[in-house]
Amino acid sequence: MALAIEARQLGKRFRRYDPHRPWTFQEVVARGWRRGGPEYFWGLREIDLAIEAGTTVGVIGANGAGKSTLLRLLGGIGQPDEGSIKVHGRVSGLLSLGAGFHSDLTGRENVLVTGIIGGLTRAEVEREFDSIVDFAELRDAIDAPLRTYSSGMEMRLAFAVAIHVQSSVLLIDEVLAVGDLAFQRKCLNRILDLKARGVTIVLVSHDAATVATLCEEALWLESGRIVEHGPAPSVVNHYVAMMRARAQQRNEAETLSRTPGDRPPLRTSSGATLEVRRNRFGSLEMELIDVQLLDSYGSPTAEIVPGDCLNVEILYDAPGAIPRPVFGVTITGNGGRVCLDTSTDREDFTLPLIRNRGTISVRFEGLRLPAGLYHVDVGVYQQDWSYAYDYHYNSYPLRMRAEGAGCGAMEAARIIWRHESQDSGSRRLARVR
Amino acid sequence: MPVRGAGLHRAKCQTMEFVNQFSFRHAVDLLRVLVSRDLKIRYKRSFLGMAWSLLNPLLQLLVFRSVFRFLLPLNIASYTLFLFSGILVWTWFQSSWMGATNCIVENAGLIRQPGFPAAVLPLVTITSNLFHFVLALPVLLAASLLSGHRAGALWMLPLIMAVQFAFTSGVSYLTASLHVRFRDTQHLLGIVLLLGFYLVPIFYSVASVPPRLQPYYRLNPMVHILEAYRAVLLTGGMPAWKPLVSVAALSAVLLCAAVGIFVRSSHAFVEEL
Repeated sequence: MALAIEARQLGKRFRRYDPHRPWTFQEVVARGWRRGGPEYFWGLREIDLAIEAGTTVGVIGANGAGKSTLLRLLGGIGQPDEGSIKVHGRVSGLLSLGAGFHSDLTGRENVLVTGIIGGLTRAEVEREFDSIVDFAELRDAIDAPLRTYSSGMEMRLAFAVAIHVQSSVLLIDEVLAVGDLAFQRKCLNRILDLKARGVTIVLVSHDAATVATLCEEALWLESGRIVEHGPAPSVVNHYVAMMRARAQQRNEAETLSRTPGDRPPLRTSSGATLEVRRNRFGSLEMELIDVQLLDSYGSPTAEIVPGDCLNVEILYDAPGAIPRPVFGVTITGNGGRVCLDTSTDREDFTLPLIRNRGTISVRFEGLRLPAGLYHVDVGVYQQDWSYAYDYHYNSYPLRMRAEGAGCGAMEAARIIWRHESQDSGSRRLARVR
Repeated sequence: MPVRGAGLHRAKCQTMEFVNQFSFRHAVDLLRVLVSRDLKIRYKRSFLGMAWSLLNPLLQLLVFRSVFRFLLPLNIASYTLFLFSGILVWTWFQSSWMGATNCIVENAGLIRQPGFPAAVLPLVTITSNLFHFVLALPVLLAASLLSGHRAGALWMLPLIMAVQFAFTSGVSYLTASLHVRFRDTQHLLGIVLLLGFYLVPIFYSVASVPPRLQPYYRLNPMVHILEAYRAVLLTGGMPAWKPLVSVAALSAVLLCAAVGIFVRSSHAFVEEL
């Protein structure tokens, strides 16, 4: 198949922002022309691409990964500092929509200007004019000055013009569709149309789901280099998994930084002693003042058999109002290995504004784990999971007795969260699984 | 580290790729539509509209004529026409050069469109200012004929205008790319043009310049361009060949060099904008 885009060892570097770099002649005169060697950083490095015509490629990556830089080079804006890039055919983009718009001109005049700026000839714009106006659903307003348009109308017009530029390669920077839901569907359908016609599409997006559904290939960039380039669903999965793991690392660091230096040790009714920075972490804006492991009869226990019920009862205290905290309970095995994990947000049990004292409990019914020693870690987290308010680590031991044949599974038949607030006397219950 | 030689080769490849994409028809359409957009924007909501093209120079004319007739009399035949021609030509030159210097910075959004030829932007400014010039020319011509002047060799007019266009484009490409990097270029240019007004025989004649300074004075290309216009419009004769041809040659060389510099620096525009 013919290649639409070829890149060999492509590299682009940028000057690091230097506040001392003169940007007027006046500054040159005042400060003197200091040739203090500019510092560079590579926006893209060693990019090798071979994209066949008609493919839709999604470019994903964290901010600053080089996605927009790659798109610009594909559009011929700027030149590579290393390697080469070759794009076959006319290139157009859904980039900076409405760049040529001027509010004093009518919609009609703006379509003509923007269409030609986008790459069409005058004849082509005149030929496609009706189609553009119909797509934008602006037949009545097309001869009114642009300043009378709402922002939605402007966006629709800009999109309509951009999407009518017949090119072999289409570059899309995040903005895939504009307008209300119905119009967005129209935009997507049009893009699918272009796909069917064999247009090569390069889409930069932060929306992993869109990339997975719309694109055949995905290109994952990280700090200017290719991490992975392959079939969209698998690359997107790897990317999402990596992002989640990173977020978790960030949360741990954030929690540690917010943990106060000293606090009197907390003693729970089960006899555990919790000391900050040893087995207790968190900002302590909200505290877990008591945690108990109870059996099905409600008496404290540290040992159960497979199939038993386990109640983890947490007494909390929030002197200040805490919006929608998330409670999490994890059963960990040797070396902190997570065996079972549940939290109030994952199980869709959102808590309201929490104030003062209350009890929250989670009941594991039919708990099965291989025989051995475990720990129950409990924590209450900020609603976005950015850091923990209070986290008790390896403080509540739980022994699973061996019974009958060795149990290999790690599961609970049912997990039920229950919340009882002393403040309002309310009770809430959620059953999951 | 990229090798220097390899760098040039790569640059050539990229240029070649764009030659394939470049369409003359599209460039012309683009120039046309951007000029018409410029003119429409300027006149859409103004009360006097197109009349401004004429009113501006006429008002200037009025002021200068009054000053140099009543306050500081100069002995120049048909001073009004003399002055009017100078003002029109200089206005085209000044507004073009000033406007074109800023055209890249002003149109940052357009530069970012894939396949957009940035080199067309300075030409847009010069052409739309040419429009105002051309609108006022018939008035000048009519006034000249009515005053009994012979306006012969009118076919030379477009040629002189072409030379002025080439010269203006040349200097504009240079300052336009410079302004992207050093943002006070336009400001400095304003001062240069302010002084330049007095270094071109707009409101005085070349003969007034002391003989000692004449050779230096005549180094200014605009002097010869203006003299050429005056020769055709006011005296009805042919303009002096040698100076005009020299200016034409200089403009051609300048234009080629300036476009080359512009295109080379245009790759870094997006970073600076």
